[in-house]
Amino acid sequence: MTDFLSLILEPLQEVFLTFKIFLPNLLAMLVIMILGVILARIIRFMLVKSLTAINFDSWSDRMGFTTLMRKGDLWAKPSAMLGSVVLWLLITVTLMIGLSALKIPTIDSLVEQFFGYLPRVFSAVLILIIGYVLAGFISRGVLIAAVNSGYHYAKLLAEAIRTLLTVLILAMVMEQLQIAPSIVLAAFSIIFGGIVVALSISFGVGGIDAAKRMIERESAENCAAGVKDEIEHI
Amino acid sequence: MSDFYQSGIITTLHQLGKPSLDRLETELHGFSKSRPIALVLPALYSEFEGAAMPGIVQELAKVKYLNEIVLVLDKGTEKDFQRVREFMSPISTDVRIIHNDGKRITEIYETFSRNGFNVGERGKGRSAWLAYGYVLARGKSDVIALHDCDILTYSRELLARLCYPVVNPNLDYVFCKGYYSRVSGKMNGRVTRLLVTPLVRSIQQFIGAHGFLTFLDSFRYPLSGEFCMITDLARVNRIPWDWGLEVGSLAEVHRNYSPRRVCQVDIAANYDHKHQILSADDAAKGLMKMTVDICKSIFRTLASEGVVFSDGLFKSLLVAYLRQAEDTIMKYEADAAINGLKFDRHEEAMAVEAFTRAIGMAAQTFMENPMTTPLIPNWNRVSSAIPDIFEMLKMAVDEDNK
Repeated sequence: MTDFLSLILEPLQEVFLTFKIFLPNLLAMLVIMILGVILARIIRFMLVKSLTAINFDSWSDRMGFTTLMRKGDLWAKPSAMLGSVVLWLLITVTLMIGLSALKIPTIDSLVEQFFGYLPRVFSAVLILIIGYVLAGFISRGVLIAAVNSGYHYAKLLAEAIRTLLTVLILAMVMEQLQIAPSIVLAAFSIIFGGIVVALSISFGVGGIDAAKRMIERESAENCAAGVKDEIEHI
Repeated sequence: MSDFYQSGIITTLHQLGKPSLDRLETELHGFSKSRPIALVLPALYSEFEGAAMPGIVQELAKVKYLNEIVLVLDKGTEKDFQRVREFMSPISTDVRIIHNDGKRITEIYETFSRNGFNVGERGKGRSAWLAYGYVLARGKSDVIALHDCDILTYSRELLARLCYPVVNPNLDYVFCKGYYSRVSGKMNGRVTRLLVTPLVRSIQQFIGAHGFLTFLDSFRYPLSGEFCMITDLARVNRIPWDWGLEVGSLAEVHRNYSPRRVCQVDIAANYDHKHQILSADDAAKGLMKMTVDICKSIFRTLASEGVVFSDGLFKSLLVAYLRQAEDTIMKYEADAAINGLKFDRHEEAMAVEAFTRAIGMAAQTFMENPMTTPLIPNWNRVSSAIPDIFEMLKMAVDEDNK
């Protein structure tokens, strides 16, 4: 009977002992989480206040970032939006630190992977922001140049260039984030290559007559020059 | 049948005989291909629960020449917005509803505010202005027509006659205002009859012939809420957001265009809508509030055109106005008598006394701060400060209407 009882109690004791060892870690995680969330909220509050003080929302309206948000059907203030992004980023970091306090090897490796991935996320965001500004700048430059040259489809050309640059930037971002890099590379090569081939074919086909005229004119000039030479020799 | 006399410096288009509505609509349908028309309807949700709106929707469902209808819904919840969408569904024209209290449009107003634009308090002026912005953002219409949503005697002939002068490319009008008689057993339209016309004529006694006063006096019903204009005008006009909306809009039209390109048209044999209370004891509501706002708008417009106002002038003006208004009452009494209309002379005299007090208040406010009349900035200025505002407004309305 005693053996039978010990058979039942031993695993329970083991569980209890494991839990006893685990409990401080769990408490540490909870404390980290609570403090982290409070700190994240304070940082969000201070960030939003600072952004409001420097008229970030108004600047964002002028620079087109608000429009970008609206395109994604996000109708909060840009400062509040940025505040929320920072808050959730900090909460995620807090969660990861908290989880690492549990000292579970599987979770530790997950946390390590997460922190290893963070620089990629930052550089992807940076590429996205700089790319968006550059695409807008180049497309506007093309629009102004095309309009000044009297090109009829200036707006279409500018939009096409903006779209091409956006595709390029998105491919770079995906590549940076290591999201299906081989597929992204293949898709990008196909799309970009396809556009270039389409342009080449359309230019080639559309320019047959023009090229023919140019070649004929060139050869006619050469012939005329040859005849003149002969006459001069005579 | 109306007379055909041309009075004032603008063109008056009378209703002579019984013009065929079919012919008018057929011609409008043809003209609208090269000059697409947008109809703007500023409405409160409460108006959809009243008697006027079902009739208006029934009539608009028969109209085929409109390119788009932009309805600005004010004081309505999300559920009310959905009900209004359902309510407007019998109309085959593309109907877009701007939900003034929705989260997206609220954020659009926030965008104006944080960029230093005071677009005023909610009301017809602000709603109309936002609707113009949306029409400009879509860029699909060349002409904007606007009428109220509380017209109990609405017929589609009103809309056709209102649009025709601006839409017809052979007539070359940029702005057309509707006029009509306001009779329902008695004479209505007290503010126009007993305030605006006598006030304009008494100011003329002091400052002599003045372009804007002559222009204003040329309109048979300057406070009518129905008008039609080219979209360019919506882009450059600054309009007041308070009750000075009609007078302020006319002032902007006068400032930007020649009176030769402005007309008024007889749009209805009779017109009836929601009546405002006089509220003689409270200048913050009813016709008294309207009166104060209208007077301030007139004073500000004249001051901006170089007229110098002084305490003495205002004191004399009150006396001159009272005399003019009393003479006007006698004219209308005779007019009512011959037409067998009820005419309460005492009530009319009480209204004039209240209006006199309101002019005094407006004068005092104007003297204390001549810049108080609120004008919403024009869309050119707004788009200059917020380059993507049209795109944002379009996205907000289109998302709401999905």
